[in-house]
Order: sequence, then C-alpha cells, then structure tokens
Amino acid sequence: MIPSPDDQNYDLIAHLSDYLDRGENPPEEFLNTAPENRIAYDALTRFRTMAQDILAGDVTAEPARDDSWVTRILTNIHRESRAGRSIPVSHPSPKAALSLTEGAVRGLIRSAGDSVAGTFIGSCTLQGDVTVPGSEVTVNVEASVFWGERMPQTAQRLRDAITTSLLHHTELNIKAVNVTITDVHLRRNATPGD
Amino acid sequence: MVSDERSSLDDAADATLAARAVDGDVRAFEVIVRRHGPLMRAYATRILGSNSDADDVVQDTFITAWERLGELQDPAATKAWLMRITSRKAIDRIRARRTDQPFGEWDVPAPESESPHHQAEAASQRERLTRALATLSEAQRECWTLREIGGHSYAEIAEELDVPPSTVRGLLARARQKLMQEMEEWR
Repeated sequence: MIPSPDDQNYDLIAHLSDYLDRGENPPEEFLNTAPENRIAYDALTRFRTMAQDILAGDVTAEPARDDSWVTRILTNIHRESRAGRSIPVSHPSPKAALSLTEGAVRGLIRSAGDSVAGTFIGSCTLQGDVTVPGSEVTVNVEASVFWGERMPQTAQRLRDAITTSLLHHTELNIKAVNVTITDVHLRRNATPGD
Repeated sequence: MVSDERSSLDDAADATLAARAVDGDVRAFEVIVRRHGPLMRAYATRILGSNSDADDVVQDTFITAWERLGELQDPAATKAWLMRITSRKAIDRIRARRTDQPFGEWDVPAPESESPHHQAEAASQRERLTRALATLSEAQRECWTLREIGGHSYAEIAEELDVPPSTVRGLLARARQKLMQEMEEWR
C-alpha cells in the first residue's frame, strides 16, 4: 500500500535532494538511520540515471520524418548576415561596378580546402584591406586533418589548393596563406574494419 | 592510413562545423541541424509536456543559434549550448501560453493517472517514467526536466522560470515525491 504524500516524506526528499543536487552523497549514518532514507535515496539516484538516458530513448523511438523540418530552418536563417566586406572586382567598362563579398571568397577557400582529401577547413579570415584593390592580403585558415595524415604535407597541399583557387577566381594580392592544424578527426560513421 | 576520397562534412566535429557556420557555411550548419535537431526536439517535447509546439521551438532554437554562433565560447560544447537555447525557447512558449495566469495557478495537479498496476505493466522504464511525469503539475515537470535532463542549477532554473530558488527547491522535491509514488518506489 502506498502511503499518501505527507510532510514527512516531503521533508526527507527535499533533504536528500539538497545533497543530490550539490553533487554530494548524504552521510552513510543518515542513510542507515531508517530504511526509508536509503530507499528514497536509491530511488532518487535511479531517477537521475533514467533521466539522463531518456532523451536518447525518445530520439530512437521517434518514427522517421521527412526532411521538411530541416528545409524550414535553412530557409528561415539570415544568410546575408555573413556576407562581410565587399571586395571590388575590375571590369573593362568604367560604368560597371562589380564586387565580390568576403563571404563568397571564404566559400571559395573552404571549397578548395575540402578538395584536399582528409581535411576540413574550419574558420577562415582575410587579413588586410580587401576593399582596396591591390592591397596585400593574408589568408588564415584553421583546419582539421584526418587521423594518420602527415601534417606538414597536408598543410602544404591546403596552401597550394587555396592559393591556386584564389588566383583563378579573384584579383586578391595574396601575401601568404597560413594554415593552422587545430584538430585531428576520425571518420564518424566508420564501419568496423574501416 | 591515408584517405583518398573527398571528406564528407558529416564526419566533421562540431567545433569545425560551428566555425564554418560562423563564416557563413550553410552546409556545415545543416549538418549541425541534422545531427542535433532530433535531440533538441525530444528535449523541447519533455519541457513542453507534448510535442505540439516542439517543431516551432526547434526552429526558433536553430535560427537563434545561427545568429549567435559567433558568441559560442567553446565550439566543442555545441550540443550543451543548443540545449540551453532550446530550454529557453520552450519556456518562452510556456510563458506565452499562460500570460494571464499567476504563478500559483500553473502548479495545479495534473489529471489522475492510470492505476499503478497498469503502469507496472508498461513495457519499458522510459514509458513508466513518461507516464509518471505526466502526473506532475506543469511547474513540477519543468523544474524536474531542467534539473535532471538539462542539468541546470537551482539558480539557473529560478532565473529561467522567474521564481525564487526556494520555490524551485520545493517544486523539485514535490516532483520527486510524486514520481516515487507513481513508480511504486515508495514502499
């Protein structure tokens, strides 16, 4: 038979909760004072363990959904907020004013970097006054390389790929491309024996 | 081992993806959304008590995340950061729902649960806990979820819910007491 909630139970649970929520264990002697003290404490710690697993269980139990929720999010974000500075591009006609956004150049750099096997470009900055044609510009990129790659060679391949792409697609006067390896990654969805 | 194929962004760590998204890479952001979206939806559903507004909460969460990714101090902690945004957005929804209600009125007991016998037969622990949680008042469930699932401190929960920490302590103790009764832990 389950006793109806009374103030005694409430006080015991509130007291035990204070320990639990401070990340401490209640004193053994308190737990040994009365069987219900230990029963209550064990139940509280069990709930905590269950709570920590509950979201993973919810996700697994969720039926597969179509992709519309992702599309809805991606169409509602403000992409323009990342455009950055405007980089002038020369044109034979004096009437035409062309420019490239800094965000587009970063996209070129990422794309060049991603074409180098086993690497991911992370953040990427253009240092220098890109708004004035001919200014010296230094490109700084952070990269993560696949576990087992030789870092100096990989960094050099990244530098080459980025320099080539910027030469082809922009008029930037590139002084240097600095690559900082910030991380080493493994394949996430690796199959056994991969 | 040297890989020859072009790397798939799906393999990239959160920190790399977050850095790219800050620079404007929508593809990288999409990987973050797919990777963490289902968990955020589950968390929102737990806080809200139903999945009716969960998709809107998830959408608000990721739109805010896109705007504020640059403020993320430790990009490796992307998941925990998204969970904090999710809980805030979910609580905003709950607040909006009960704009005219004073605090005391949302701590009303939930409808009577099914009989304890029935609950004991439920297939999994998760289902039993879910049923027990449904018997809590809204305020109790929110406190419990933020504390036990979200890992928030009393002070954080108090701030989120705009109540004194002593109220949070009381609601949590009541929630835990009720769960014990419902799950027949209390003998």
